[in-house]
Amino acid sequence: MTTMPIHNASMPKASRKAVPLTQLSRGQRGRIDCTDAASEDCSMLRAMGLRPDASIQMCRLGEPCIISLTGGCGGGCRIGLAKDIASRVMIHIDE
Amino acid sequence: MPTTSSDSQTASTRRTIAVLGNPNVGKTTLFNRIAGIRAKTSNFPGTTQEARVAHVELNASPDDPIESILIDLPGIYSLDLDLSESKICADVLAGTAAPVGEEAHTPDALLVVIDATNLMRNLTIVGESIAKRLPTVVAVNMIDAARRRGIYIDAAKFAECLGCSVVLCSARTGEGVDELTAALSHAKIPDRSAPTDQSGIERWSEDVYALVSMPTEHLADDTLTDRLDRAFTHPVLGMLSFVAIMTGLFWMIFKLASYPMDWIDLWFGAVGSWAGSLIPPGAIHDLMVDGVIAGVGGTVIFLPQICLLFFLLALLEGSGYLARAAFVIDRALRPFGLSGHAFVPLLSSHACAIPGIMAARAIPDKRDRLATILVAPFMSCTARIPVYVLLTTILFPYRPLYQALAFTMCYALGIFAGLFTSLLFRRTILRGKSRPMALELPSYRLPDLKSALLLTFDRGMVFLKKAGTLILAISIVLWWLGAYPHSGPTDAAIELRAQAEALVDPEQAETLLAQADSLDTRNAAANSFLGRIGGTFQPMFAPLGYDRQLTVGVLASFAAREVFVSTMAVQVAGSDDVEDDTVLESIANATNDDGSRIFTYATSWSLLFFYVLASLCLPTLVVTAKEAGGWKWATLQLGWMSLLAYTSALAAYQFIIAAGGS
Repeated sequence: MTTMPIHNASMPKASRKAVPLTQLSRGQRGRIDCTDAASEDCSMLRAMGLRPDASIQMCRLGEPCIISLTGGCGGGCRIGLAKDIASRVMIHIDE
Repeated sequence: MPTTSSDSQTASTRRTIAVLGNPNVGKTTLFNRIAGIRAKTSNFPGTTQEARVAHVELNASPDDPIESILIDLPGIYSLDLDLSESKICADVLAGTAAPVGEEAHTPDALLVVIDATNLMRNLTIVGESIAKRLPTVVAVNMIDAARRRGIYIDAAKFAECLGCSVVLCSARTGEGVDELTAALSHAKIPDRSAPTDQSGIERWSEDVYALVSMPTEHLADDTLTDRLDRAFTHPVLGMLSFVAIMTGLFWMIFKLASYPMDWIDLWFGAVGSWAGSLIPPGAIHDLMVDGVIAGVGGTVIFLPQICLLFFLLALLEGSGYLARAAFVIDRALRPFGLSGHAFVPLLSSHACAIPGIMAARAIPDKRDRLATILVAPFMSCTARIPVYVLLTTILFPYRPLYQALAFTMCYALGIFAGLFTSLLFRRTILRGKSRPMALELPSYRLPDLKSALLLTFDRGMVFLKKAGTLILAISIVLWWLGAYPHSGPTDAAIELRAQAEALVDPEQAETLLAQADSLDTRNAAANSFLGRIGGTFQPMFAPLGYDRQLTVGVLASFAAREVFVSTMAVQVAGSDDVEDDTVLESIANATNDDGSRIFTYATSWSLLFFYVLASLCLPTLVVTAKEAGGWKWATLQLGWMSLLAYTSALAAYQFIIAAGGS
């Protein structure tokens, strides 16, 4: 297991405490802090755009969890995550 | 002077252009727009990855065409991921790999296709590409969709940041494509570079993004997408819509394919009679009519179903629905140790296990992939349909409802056996949970008809090639084994013919002559190599209720399952040129030499179980060995499926006999 380095964790308007992605409610936005998953899953998620500091919005909670990458793409990119993975992605909730 | 694609330029002067990009960026649509139908699909040697390759002329100016080879590489998120598609792309860029038929050398140019609506994420692959120091052009695709979302991209500034040409385009509308082909013929090595480590490249892409795009957090209205996503992935609604869409898909496959299948059947029938009348009777005549034409015709008849399946799947994939369906199926398959990635392979296996197993390439986790490959042949393929039709008709004559129920039971039994197999293997030899899914959900859009048609054409050609080579060879061998050594007329037949000659009534004489022919055919079948093989193996199948002729039918099915029906027809009727329904009836009523029926109630059930579960397909085993990475997997598949088939058929037969059935 590897943990992604925290890159610029203290963003303005975002909570300082990192919580699992699954704690976001629908429509709420946040910024990725790190991913605590197997290293190959971790690199894959980063390459897919779930990199530290990427801003996201929750579209659907549960199985699967659907988020959209809001920064840098106007919300056009959606990623579906099995609950197992989603609960390992840590985020800072936008306030 | 414009040149044609003749050999005015040698292969060494052709420029190789590798096309690289993330999945779902419209890379293949752009490739198809540039290459048209001239592309072919090739494998990378020793791997299961494939690429589309096209020889095209790119016009720097109308009078100056440059012959180029375009290679559409698999879609990847990064060149550095530990995935086979990422490795193959990195090898192509390094000049150490090329698709079959192409020379491996460093590409002369690189076309990086990126999605304008998702720029920042796509910059990772751009950064990795420009670090390769190859002449590069970046195509910012889907610019029309980006404009609709209010995204602005400054192409000039972007080109300045990268140090290479950047073209804004839309593969869908054709906007910017001419400009892109012109840029490709003048591609130059970028005079800027990007960091090579992941964190560095992420920071670099943020900087580039901030410079070339309006740094906006503007969100387009995605209410409809949100609603559709929630419906299609909902535990109940998602499953219901999945069942409805798949039922529609199969209904269309079976309904629409029946017309071209009839035409193909008629065409091969006509070719058979034409060839039969042209070639004088003898071994060559029989080889051509009974071996080559019947064998290939019996396989090509499934072409419409296979083409329709791939076409409709391509449309569904293009619409964006399949990625959502994968999550619905993931929920259902996970308890059995399979992931949602197994959905397309298992669905395709309902047409034919071979494309199904090949589709398992896309499953990222090795154990998930192996489990899917081992399970795929349990899905009822179209080759089983003729056998199911025969056996359900024999079991429930003139009762279509019962026939339909038995038919459905066959499909359900195959799926159940597959899930049970996966569960067993994932707890023993492939221990471990299936890898949780993380999948990009592409935007809902109207599917690209041209791309779907090109893919269908490709898959159809692969199937036809198989029919023209492997299946043709197997048909010839089977025909030879069944036709030789020749046996002379039997004493009983000679006597019957003598009686017929003595008769005055021509109708009675004809009946006797037909009986004599039938006796001779049976005798020839029993004495042929195939008949002798059947006799040798019959004791093994006796507990399942199979006689020598059924044993031959089962053994012949190893070439292809549907061969069972034609083999039985040849054996029991002594003639295979009768109309279909008559063939079915003659098989159903066929008797042994001692007058007892071959297809009893118990035998038919036993055969049905056997055909649902048995691995009766040599080509599937070959593909399993290739895709799973060794004959041990194919042997395991054959052994396990045979064990399940034999014990189930044995149990069915003995249970019915013990319960007082016949």
